[in-house]
Amino acid sequence: MMKVTVPALRSTILVFPFFIASLFCAAQLQPIYSFQKDDSSLKKAYFDQSVSKKNRALATLDKKYAAEYKRIYEDQFTEIGKLWQSDRSVTSAGAHGYLQSIVQKIISVNADLSKTDARVVFSRDWWPNAYSMGDGTIAINAGLMVYLHNEAELVFIVCHEIAHYYLDHTNKSIKQYVEKVNSEEFQNELKRLSKTEYGVNNQLEELTRTSAFSSRRHSRDNEAAADRLAFRFMKKTGYDCGAIKTCLELLDKVDDSLLYQSPDVRQLFNFTNYPFKNKWIQKESSIFSRVNETDATAGKEKDSLKTYPDCSKRISLLHDSLATTSTGGKKFLVYEELFSQLKRDFFIEMTEQCYRDKNLSRNLYYNLLLLQSRENTPLAVYSVARCLNAIYDSQKNHKLGSRIDTESKGHPEAYNLLLRMLNQIRLDEIASVNYHFCKRYETEMKNYAGFREEMNKTQNLKN
Amino acid sequence: MKKHVLAAGLILLVASCCKGQKLSIENVYKLTLRSSDAIREGSEVKGYYFFYISDKIDKRTNEYTLQITDNNLNKLKDIKFQDSKDVTILESSFNGTDLIFLLYDDEARTFVYQVYGADGKKKYAYSRQLTKKEEKYLQATYLAVEDEENTYKGLYPIEGKGFISNMPSREDKDYTFQIDFFSTEKKKQWTYTPTIGGKKFVGDYLGYYNGVVFIEVLKYTGMSDGNPESYVIGLNLETGKQVFEKPTDQGKYKFYPASMSVVNNGKAVLFGEYFNPNGNIVKDKSLGFAFVGIDEKGNTVIEKYSAWGLELSKFMNVNAKGKIEDFGFMYLHNMIQTADGSIFAVGEGYKKVASAFGIASRIATAGRSGASTVKVKVTDMVLIRFDRDFNVKDAKIYDKNPNTQELPGGYEFASTPLLGKMLKYTFGQFDYAYSQTNKDYTSFTICYSDYERGKNYKGGTFNSISFNEGKITTDRINTKSDATWSTVMPGKQGQVLILDYYKKAKRIDVHFEKLN
Repeated sequence: MMKVTVPALRSTILVFPFFIASLFCAAQLQPIYSFQKDDSSLKKAYFDQSVSKKNRALATLDKKYAAEYKRIYEDQFTEIGKLWQSDRSVTSAGAHGYLQSIVQKIISVNADLSKTDARVVFSRDWWPNAYSMGDGTIAINAGLMVYLHNEAELVFIVCHEIAHYYLDHTNKSIKQYVEKVNSEEFQNELKRLSKTEYGVNNQLEELTRTSAFSSRRHSRDNEAAADRLAFRFMKKTGYDCGAIKTCLELLDKVDDSLLYQSPDVRQLFNFTNYPFKNKWIQKESSIFSRVNETDATAGKEKDSLKTYPDCSKRISLLHDSLATTSTGGKKFLVYEELFSQLKRDFFIEMTEQCYRDKNLSRNLYYNLLLLQSRENTPLAVYSVARCLNAIYDSQKNHKLGSRIDTESKGHPEAYNLLLRMLNQIRLDEIASVNYHFCKRYETEMKNYAGFREEMNKTQNLKN
Repeated sequence: MKKHVLAAGLILLVASCCKGQKLSIENVYKLTLRSSDAIREGSEVKGYYFFYISDKIDKRTNEYTLQITDNNLNKLKDIKFQDSKDVTILESSFNGTDLIFLLYDDEARTFVYQVYGADGKKKYAYSRQLTKKEEKYLQATYLAVEDEENTYKGLYPIEGKGFISNMPSREDKDYTFQIDFFSTEKKKQWTYTPTIGGKKFVGDYLGYYNGVVFIEVLKYTGMSDGNPESYVIGLNLETGKQVFEKPTDQGKYKFYPASMSVVNNGKAVLFGEYFNPNGNIVKDKSLGFAFVGIDEKGNTVIEKYSAWGLELSKFMNVNAKGKIEDFGFMYLHNMIQTADGSIFAVGEGYKKVASAFGIASRIATAGRSGASTVKVKVTDMVLIRFDRDFNVKDAKIYDKNPNTQELPGGYEFASTPLLGKMLKYTFGQFDYAYSQTNKDYTSFTICYSDYERGKNYKGGTFNSISFNEGKITTDRINTKSDATWSTVMPGKQGQVLILDYYKKAKRIDVHFEKLN
């Protein structure tokens, strides 16, 4: 197993220093952001490795429940395949090489991991999460990376996911689930309920509460075990274990305002010749306006790390272990500047991924955050113009409903305001807003590739 | 994430228990969706409800779940309660602060109105026990219609104060209607039922203005009375006592109000068609549009008439009897006033045409056929714009594909207004769906369905005529998709909610789309 992974890892680490050099040379010569270029052969190698692992797992299935195991493994592999075969996974030399250096730092000091075939990658997904898929595939979303303060926090996340894989939590959970639903006791209970006429659903709900299986979500016990083992792995790396606490605290309060100042659509889309219309964001009276309970869907749409179990509980469980660590651990050991650069780059990469995935409202929101940050104004301006044109086209063709989010208590206030505007603004008004937005930046954007096309398009739509 | 995927189980999970020797949870789990609808405050959609049987408790009792979402489909609350297995949900409404649901227990013949406050807690429950006669009458009217277009919906919000309910009713041998007020400020209810001087009363809620509830009443002296008396009554919102009764034939013409709006900075104006002073509002052809301003004491403060043959003929090819060329007669669906004072009348055309089927049946059966030799063809939509002084400013016909309705024998001689009522209430043949205005009345959307038989597309369409800041645009959504079936529900103004059901995947995708 190692023979497949290690050469790929080594070659990635070898090109990594060259990438860093070229990154900074390029940055001086070219102010325009260059999107990361993935290594397709590496993705294929990882995909093939997942295929062979799946085939081996299927070949050694317990015959008794083979069909059920097969269904679960196939479903799980579909998700893994999507990651490796899409543009979501990041295998560009710089970013991937940096991550492999960190993985190598962890493996090199933990003999238990010397034979691991874990394949750890960054993904361009926007939601703050990291996950272990059970076959060694481990992903750390860009949406999580952008919030991290230092390498030590990233190291804890990698250790935590490797710990899940080392402890075989996913496969054990699958086994536990299959055995439970096929157990005599469970089947007898189902048989009893199938013959019962009254109160069946409430009893079933109780029964399923303990048996539900999710390939990306671990039980409370598994999370605690992975945290304990991650601490053990991390302790030997020389990184500051205090980062475990700051990382878990961060996961409890992830919010876009931690990155950039919230965009105010009332200012960004207010133009001298086309003033912002308050009716675009006029709030309506709402049902149960005084109910304070949190939105049932808030924060749960993606199984974020922070949702289960509570991070504060995880911190308290590690309290005694953390107290034993010696001081002097480092926050950075590989490359501090690159860590910071990657955070900024990943914000752009995940924003672009939202556009590729036709998640237009989120793409627009992130681009407005970027615009407010003034870090990469030309890209932000071009991307806002392009996105507003895409929103226009989608609305005209009645496809916008599946490309924008709806307001929810789980979203930041500024995002809800943007969503309300996208919901209430009319087709011709989108074209007018975009035209005046382009006009505002026309002079400074005149040489930016693609901008003129977007501006011409919106000018035609406006007319 | 973007699409809200409802569990297919919510529709109906098959209760076949055995799949081989093993059982899975899905085989045993059973949920039955009883009803779902938009929750509205007037024309605004404020949310949605999904009412389903979540469990059976015993032979006579079910556990019900009423899932309430906001107008973005975010789940707000699951209300669980146990009640008789014969309970269904009939309708709901929102008055800006409180929510009301009308439930009906078929076995116990009881209406129950449940009121929930802004804090999500149940505030009050009001109930009404029906007599057997009432139940029979309601089954022929209110309870009879599978009501997609809300034709018979009878719960109207009074902002911050409560709800008015208008229901058909029976009092001994008389057919009448019952107006109820259910307060949301405190537990208080009053009922008004007209019974004196007639054998049959038909009531339409017109609106609320300055503490008074306005109701249009048609009074029939007998069941075969073909010329009912029309009058408007005002009921005090606090007490339910009648404030005034105003016949609608005391102006220059006889008038039949269809709706009421508070316009021109706080004046209540009744809209509708008018007839000759001695005419018959259910049989004669109307002469045109009338606008009658009325105060809370029932005094007329404005009177304005727009004749088909005069004012309206400047914009449409219309004769003095109201027949518009190729369009037929107009059925008035709604009247809307926008913030600039303009008033828009929304109508749909219909006309009698020869029925080949009816004629052939007559010949084949030597005149004994039960089919009429004429049928009714529902034609196009029309939008007429009046200025704030009720002068016609514009009128436009919006083409759509015609529907036809065969008629029972004898209807060759029915008047066009009567046929219009039948098309609306008996046959449900009009394509008009609903109209919505925004809060500040700067825009509105009129929605209607159609069927396209074009080269590129053959199937149902959902259409809109939208007014926004003085401009009118039209739009069309093709409702035929890869889904097993699709349905369109009202959304926020300018939007619709599309539900696509995929039978094979046991999945419903729900997404909003904006109308352009």
